[in-house]
Amino acid sequence: MHLFWAITQRSFQRHLTYRAATVAGLVTNLFFGLLRAAVLIALYNARPEVAGITVQEAITYTGLTQAIITYISIFGWYDLMQSVYDGDVAVDLLKPMNYFAFWLAQDVGRAVINLLLRGLTIMLIYALIFNLTWPTAPVQWLALVSALALALLVSFAWRFLVNLAAFWTPNARGIGRFAFGITWVLSGFYMPLRYFPDWFVTLCQLTPFPAMVNTVVEIYLGLLTGPALLHALLQQVLWLAILIIAGHLVLRAGLQRLVIQGG
Amino acid sequence: MSIIKVTNLQKYFKVAKHQRGLWGSLRSLITREYEPVRAVDGISFEIQPGELIGYLGPNGAGKSTTIKILTGLLVPSGGEVLVNGYVPWRERRRYVARIGAVFGQRTTLWWDLPVIESLDLLKHIYQIPAEQYRRNLAEFRELLQLDAFLNTPVRSLSLGQRMRADICAALLHNPDLLFLDEPTIGLDVVAKERIRQFIRHINQERGTTVILTTHDLSDVAKLCRRVMIIDRGQLLFDGRLGALQHRFGGRRELVVDLADDYPHAGVDGARIAHRDGQRVTYQFEPGHITASELIGRISARYRILDLAVREPDIEATIRRIYEERLLEKTGPMLGSNGYR
Repeated sequence: MHLFWAITQRSFQRHLTYRAATVAGLVTNLFFGLLRAAVLIALYNARPEVAGITVQEAITYTGLTQAIITYISIFGWYDLMQSVYDGDVAVDLLKPMNYFAFWLAQDVGRAVINLLLRGLTIMLIYALIFNLTWPTAPVQWLALVSALALALLVSFAWRFLVNLAAFWTPNARGIGRFAFGITWVLSGFYMPLRYFPDWFVTLCQLTPFPAMVNTVVEIYLGLLTGPALLHALLQQVLWLAILIIAGHLVLRAGLQRLVIQGG
Repeated sequence: MSIIKVTNLQKYFKVAKHQRGLWGSLRSLITREYEPVRAVDGISFEIQPGELIGYLGPNGAGKSTTIKILTGLLVPSGGEVLVNGYVPWRERRRYVARIGAVFGQRTTLWWDLPVIESLDLLKHIYQIPAEQYRRNLAEFRELLQLDAFLNTPVRSLSLGQRMRADICAALLHNPDLLFLDEPTIGLDVVAKERIRQFIRHINQERGTTVILTTHDLSDVAKLCRRVMIIDRGQLLFDGRLGALQHRFGGRRELVVDLADDYPHAGVDGARIAHRDGQRVTYQFEPGHITASELIGRISARYRILDLAVREPDIEATIRRIYEERLLEKTGPMLGSNGYR
């Protein structure tokens, strides 16, 4: 645990050094967030609510999802893949540490700094422009924090698994783009899942993707309460376990056939 | 007990055959033919604790592949490897805790952070006791002169500084075995010398076994008593550097300052490689004639003012071995020196 924390801390420090990139990313996220909000406002066209979501909640939804883009790397993450391709994976494998935990620890550092610097800033600016909804009950806050943490873990376990494709093919970026593209839609990032027809939502629930975004959104907006909320959290835990096991098995197979590039 | 025991090690890679032309490219989308490449093709050797070994070979000889297998990064296609009591690729985490490695082209340090942050992290990774960490760091700081840049981000270091920091990083946990892959690549003479001294110090004072791969033969000449040469996946030579020199050293040279401008300075058993007035350079084969015989023959005919015998350098020897594939013709020269 010491080691995990030590790595997280350094990853945190490292990402703190990318200040210009953080500001540029923040401006981009904000711009597209406002754009998405404007589109939704136009589509609502003075209707009080759509699929149980009010226009105020819909605007909050755009802010919230823009705020967690970098936190869960929804647009993709190729660091591990890259380390396989330039051969730096060798240096990591030469250390007596758990490879999954090593990358997870780094990702937690990266995610936390992005949530603090980019996520919070976006929500604050949104709050200045729009009339947002906020979680009220302490239980809701508690559930939100748990869901956020679990969303990161599920998302990481998925990204780890996708990146392992690099052990098999010399160009897994295409696989990555496909996998992360799916995530984008099925997680509820593109549109709230409640907007979609029931059969589509049912289909989504059979995948780990809603556990990365939709669960967080619905808990934040107070759409989930009681048993439904508990069920959503448990679903996150279940997907986390499945993805971790899958990642472990795939990694073990991958290491057997690893080809390290470069001399 | 040997620290490394390698028996009939093999590693084959499947490389997709490249089909010529557009038609070929299209066809290879459907049926791809593979060609097996024998990167390592039946290598055996043993290394005793405390040895400092030079592992040589031209590019693409199978050197890196061997090192990657020995460090547990690659799974071989055949053969047996036992290092420090472990099968490296089978018990990776436990095995790598007791070895250190520096790949000259890569760094183990965190690019954006000060050097000391990466070193401190290793304390956690290897669970180094605080006292040992403190003592080692103090010693290495002095020997490798790290103080000037310990708080500098790695990306701002010079190559020489980065290499010193990486070597320090590989040794903080007191490994039994150290793999160095091109540790002096791209460094200037002074930086090379400092690193060589440090390697020798670690080997002699701590008894750390060192496997050194390099293209810089002066590294080998200054550090290693035993060398192994690999080419085309096969071990061609395993023995003392001196024995290699003796056998493949090629021609020795005798430089003579004659007392007079003799029109012909030739003698039997040697040829004149170079002549500059009264200074004549003779080349002779060590097997055919000794230096003293040659000097006798010359002094019988001409008056000598001064002379010097020049030994061929290893660089030239090894180059000849690679280029002319001398060892292949004669078969591997193993076991001639009590190493097996």
